[in-house]
Amino acid sequence: MKKGTSGIGGVDRRAMLKGMGGLGLAVAGAGILGMPRGASAAETLNYMCWEGYNAPSILDPFQKQKDVSISVDLITDSAGGFAKLAAGASKDFDLVSSDSPWIARMGPAGICRYIDDKDFADQYAEFYPQFRAPFTPLQFEGKATGLPTRWGWVGPTVNTKFDKLETWSSYAPVFDAAYKDKICLLDWGDWPIMPLALYAGVNPYVELDQPALDEVRKVLRAAFKNTRAIVADLAIAQKGLIDGSFRALIGGGTYATSSLRMKGHDYIQSIVPEPKNGLKQGIIWMEATGLIANDRDSKVAADFLKYIVSPEVAKQLSITEATCNLVPNAKTEALFSDAEKKALQMDYMWTAWDNSHFHTVAPNIDDMLAIWQEELAAR
Amino acid sequence: MRTDSKRWGDPVLVAAVAPLAVVMLLFFIIPLLMTVVLSFQTTQFYRLSWTWDLKVWTEVFSKPHYWTIMVRTVAMALVCVVVCVLIAFPAAYALATRLRAYNAQIQILIIFAFLTDAVLKTFGWILVLDKSGVANWLLAHLGLGHEALNLLFTPTGTMIGMVYGLVVYPMFTIYLSLVRIDRDLVLAAYDSGASRLRAFFEVTLPLARPGLYCGAVLVFVLSLGAFLEPKVLGGGTAPLASELIRQSFETRVNWPLGAALTLVLIVIGALSLSLAAFVLMRGSANHERSVR
Repeated sequence: MKKGTSGIGGVDRRAMLKGMGGLGLAVAGAGILGMPRGASAAETLNYMCWEGYNAPSILDPFQKQKDVSISVDLITDSAGGFAKLAAGASKDFDLVSSDSPWIARMGPAGICRYIDDKDFADQYAEFYPQFRAPFTPLQFEGKATGLPTRWGWVGPTVNTKFDKLETWSSYAPVFDAAYKDKICLLDWGDWPIMPLALYAGVNPYVELDQPALDEVRKVLRAAFKNTRAIVADLAIAQKGLIDGSFRALIGGGTYATSSLRMKGHDYIQSIVPEPKNGLKQGIIWMEATGLIANDRDSKVAADFLKYIVSPEVAKQLSITEATCNLVPNAKTEALFSDAEKKALQMDYMWTAWDNSHFHTVAPNIDDMLAIWQEELAAR
Repeated sequence: MRTDSKRWGDPVLVAAVAPLAVVMLLFFIIPLLMTVVLSFQTTQFYRLSWTWDLKVWTEVFSKPHYWTIMVRTVAMALVCVVVCVLIAFPAAYALATRLRAYNAQIQILIIFAFLTDAVLKTFGWILVLDKSGVANWLLAHLGLGHEALNLLFTPTGTMIGMVYGLVVYPMFTIYLSLVRIDRDLVLAAYDSGASRLRAFFEVTLPLARPGLYCGAVLVFVLSLGAFLEPKVLGGGTAPLASELIRQSFETRVNWPLGAALTLVLIVIGALSLSLAAFVLMRGSANHERSVR
């Protein structure tokens, strides 16, 4: 029998138990001695964030540099994260990275503290002009809640092996019988609702009356009729898009695209349809990071906010295992390789920006989500 | 005959029951009461507003789509029970009789499959049921046509996932009932001239009833809360109650509505089980009366 392949059969029980005992002690010892930070760090930060923000390559250098331990709580739903903080969890957290409409709400709601733009002047100076102070989407009565961290757009995500991009210069194929059972809607809260409402000629970002809500209902019903699947899982949607069983994904945009492009599937693209009836048809989504208002009002948390938007860290945040997204820091652009720029569709980003609405919490969002639920039940 | 009657004042009995009672109180009764309290509150701008109100309950009872989903959930659960029992009984019978020599090995394999992560198993079905998946590949090679099956993102796909995940429960409960049957009773039936089929229906099946009912109840209760299968394999074609509740809590951040829908589902489950118990008890009583 070769050395190292004897297995359990070649070892007597006593030796096996002794070995296991020793291993247990070793593991326990390593647990105590090697407990990375937490117990020994000068300060602990509690961070609520989306996946990607918690990458060791992002957190570890800051933890070492500031002698701080960062404990992460991952968000699975922006609205749910807001609700959790609003229900009292804010006293346990120091930082939050979530979708910008929710961060923007956290200032007026007393969950986040407002930041003084002057304190972050160096950071704003590095941003693209579109994101510089005063950055309206995160402002309330002239005060800013947090800084923008990642962004992208929501429009049809298309496999160009099967469809020409021109076909998707409008959302019309979503309702076309020729595309029956070839469309996938992403079940991502309000993201799939907004583009379809815009296609129906309803601006969902203003207060809606009943006839407008009826239009939203009609357009959702028509879309559901033609849709093969409404999925929440990105991997399922991406798989279908690659093998052609889905010709387009609606409601995901660049969040669903760029990681595929990064892996070489550059025939997958997210675009923004042409304006229709005077309404832009795209949506710009953005994530932001805010400082939570609590008794501690940690200075290290403010340092982290500067750190997370710095060019090098922003690049790490841009290209993650799960998704790849744009960042507001213009200096980061120089750090991207040509392949990364191509994957992020950087040559198209300002076209998308110009043809899109900035995504905020719509006044009638609960009505629209209720309509979504009702129409889904009636499918 | 002497019977042992226990009194609640008995300290031994109290000591024996207390831990479970505390656990049930802390982790079932109190959360349930909190859910009831929550369902009478409202939300404003995604924040809970502590105002005793019937708004949520009025919405639940006035919007038919909630009930469409609830009825669909119960129907799917019942179909799942029937399919699981139909698959589980012959399998358990074979394990208890014909395959006794390989019993341990087969049980270990079943347990391994059962203990595999549910997410992994559900996502695995995508590779099987997809238009370009294993099932269609196999059928195409058997000459049954290209993309003969279109099961992914359909209620049938959801049902396949649910049955696969839950069939193990009745399989084991029925098996446990079957192995406890005294073989002499079956032999006595044969000696009395009963055919194999008659002996099965008049001896084996009635004696296996406790395991069958137990497995059916487990499948029914777990089916009511099925979440992954309709979400992943159903593709939003036929959402079930658990998805409705998740959407209310997470996406709509309407916790009172989520709480009310949770209570509705619990009541529906409890009523369904009570009704089934009543029907079965009545059936048993009638059967005993006819035997006498």
